[in-house]
Amino acid sequence: MKQSPQDKNLEGMLRSGRLVAGGFLGTDTRRPEDIIAEDAAVLRRLGYNASQVAARMQDLRDLARPALGTWIQVDEVLQVKSEDYKGVIVCPWPHEGRYEKRITTAQRLDTGQSISWSDLNIHFVRDHGFFEGRGAFFRIEPDELIKVIFNG
Amino acid sequence: MIEFVFSVLLLSGIAAGLAMILVISEKVIQNYGPCKITLNKGKKELTVEGGKPLLTTLKEQKIFLPSACGGRGTCGVCKCKVLNGAGPLLPTETPYMDDKERKEGVRLACQVKVRNDMEIEIPAFLFAIQQYQAKLAAVEDLTYDMKRFRFELLGPETMDFVAGQYVQITCPAYKKGVDEVSRAYSIASDPKDTHFVELIVRRVPNGICTTWLFDYLKVGQPVQLTGPYGEFRMSDTQAPMIFIAGGSGMAPFVSILHQMRHVGSTRKADYFFGGNSVRDLCLGQQMAEFEKAIPSFTFHPVVARPHPEDNWTGQTGLVTEAVKRQYSDLSGHEGYLCGSPGMIDASIKVLVGLGMPQDKVYYDKFA
Repeated sequence: MKQSPQDKNLEGMLRSGRLVAGGFLGTDTRRPEDIIAEDAAVLRRLGYNASQVAARMQDLRDLARPALGTWIQVDEVLQVKSEDYKGVIVCPWPHEGRYEKRITTAQRLDTGQSISWSDLNIHFVRDHGFFEGRGAFFRIEPDELIKVIFNG
Repeated sequence: MIEFVFSVLLLSGIAAGLAMILVISEKVIQNYGPCKITLNKGKKELTVEGGKPLLTTLKEQKIFLPSACGGRGTCGVCKCKVLNGAGPLLPTETPYMDDKERKEGVRLACQVKVRNDMEIEIPAFLFAIQQYQAKLAAVEDLTYDMKRFRFELLGPETMDFVAGQYVQITCPAYKKGVDEVSRAYSIASDPKDTHFVELIVRRVPNGICTTWLFDYLKVGQPVQLTGPYGEFRMSDTQAPMIFIAGGSGMAPFVSILHQMRHVGSTRKADYFFGGNSVRDLCLGQQMAEFEKAIPSFTFHPVVARPHPEDNWTGQTGLVTEAVKRQYSDLSGHEGYLCGSPGMIDASIKVLVGLGMPQDKVYYDKFA
């Protein structure tokens, strides 16, 4: 399907390194709308939607924040930490939105598997259903994320 | 067939003609001519050619407003008051303004175009900001994700700054797809060492500027700095001080300690440095030297979660917990904080909870 000028602009912004080194699409050659649709299908197959996933990501971030970058145990199998870095980043979509550079990491104590996301990722997932493109630094594989944060 | 080709050519000709009219009219309409910018109620007057963003126009006149994004309206740092001549607030500015700022006429200088005479207000210290050509003189690994960068100033050759201030470094478009940006870093060097500027930088995962500093910039290569900026500094009272900072937040305190050493300060100062593990600690040797040179200074490294193999015998837990253990009444103290919003908010809560007046807590929040 032909891309609208708005979608084309957005893709240009997501591919560029204007906001983050390497851009948000990494080496992924798919269009953003295709990435979003395919990731949404993965979530559906696993019985989740983007809102549920983003809410859990945010809850874990909020649990971790008071520990100032140290691990805190969520339950018998999950620990999280949230680290702050210098600066803020804006959402590349054309709307208001600035996010502190904060990275939350969740780690399964039973499998050792861990996954990290930024505050911007939470917004991406909640408001755009976007998990970034493959090869992007903060690409999150939806099935791996669910395994870690929902014990799925 | 001929009719078809003729129609296509005719339509193309009309489109090209319209495009040309647009380009010409843009040149004519957007020729704003000379505009007068009055700064700080007449402290300075500039006559400039209109048509460019205020941020760029001021930069061309050697007035350097801080900006992190290179003027793309994504950082919200280049704020200044525009009393006259800016037109209505733009949708690209509103996310960065609170109600008070909107009422006061605060604008983003990168979004406001100079189209006519303007009256603006900027902090007075910005008149003293200069642009410096420098070169990277040395790099030192401090931890696994922190380095100290030493820059030699080439022109102007010296910078006078107050311990606690910061500079902006211009990160060039060092690879395809990366635009030029600027980032602010606190000065970590001795204010007497005016020929050099040292910065302590923690790598931001996938960060544009720190990736350049850590992976691309080599010793001897040129760098552009502007500064010194900022009003974070030691007060001129004799109240005992508590410094709290972890990671690269220690930069201004290194500079402040140099200053205390030079003036032979006897003012009590306790520096609580928080790290998650022993590998996050750094500059222990330099802190020990400061302790020797400034008898009223004590360094308190605190490790949140030491590993057994670290054999750590010092304080453990969060840095805020260490402060709580040490003091019961801070009503006569001043607090100095530098670091992430989370750390600063938590520290303010603890300090104020121990009786420190809110207005005696000074901080430099990473933003």
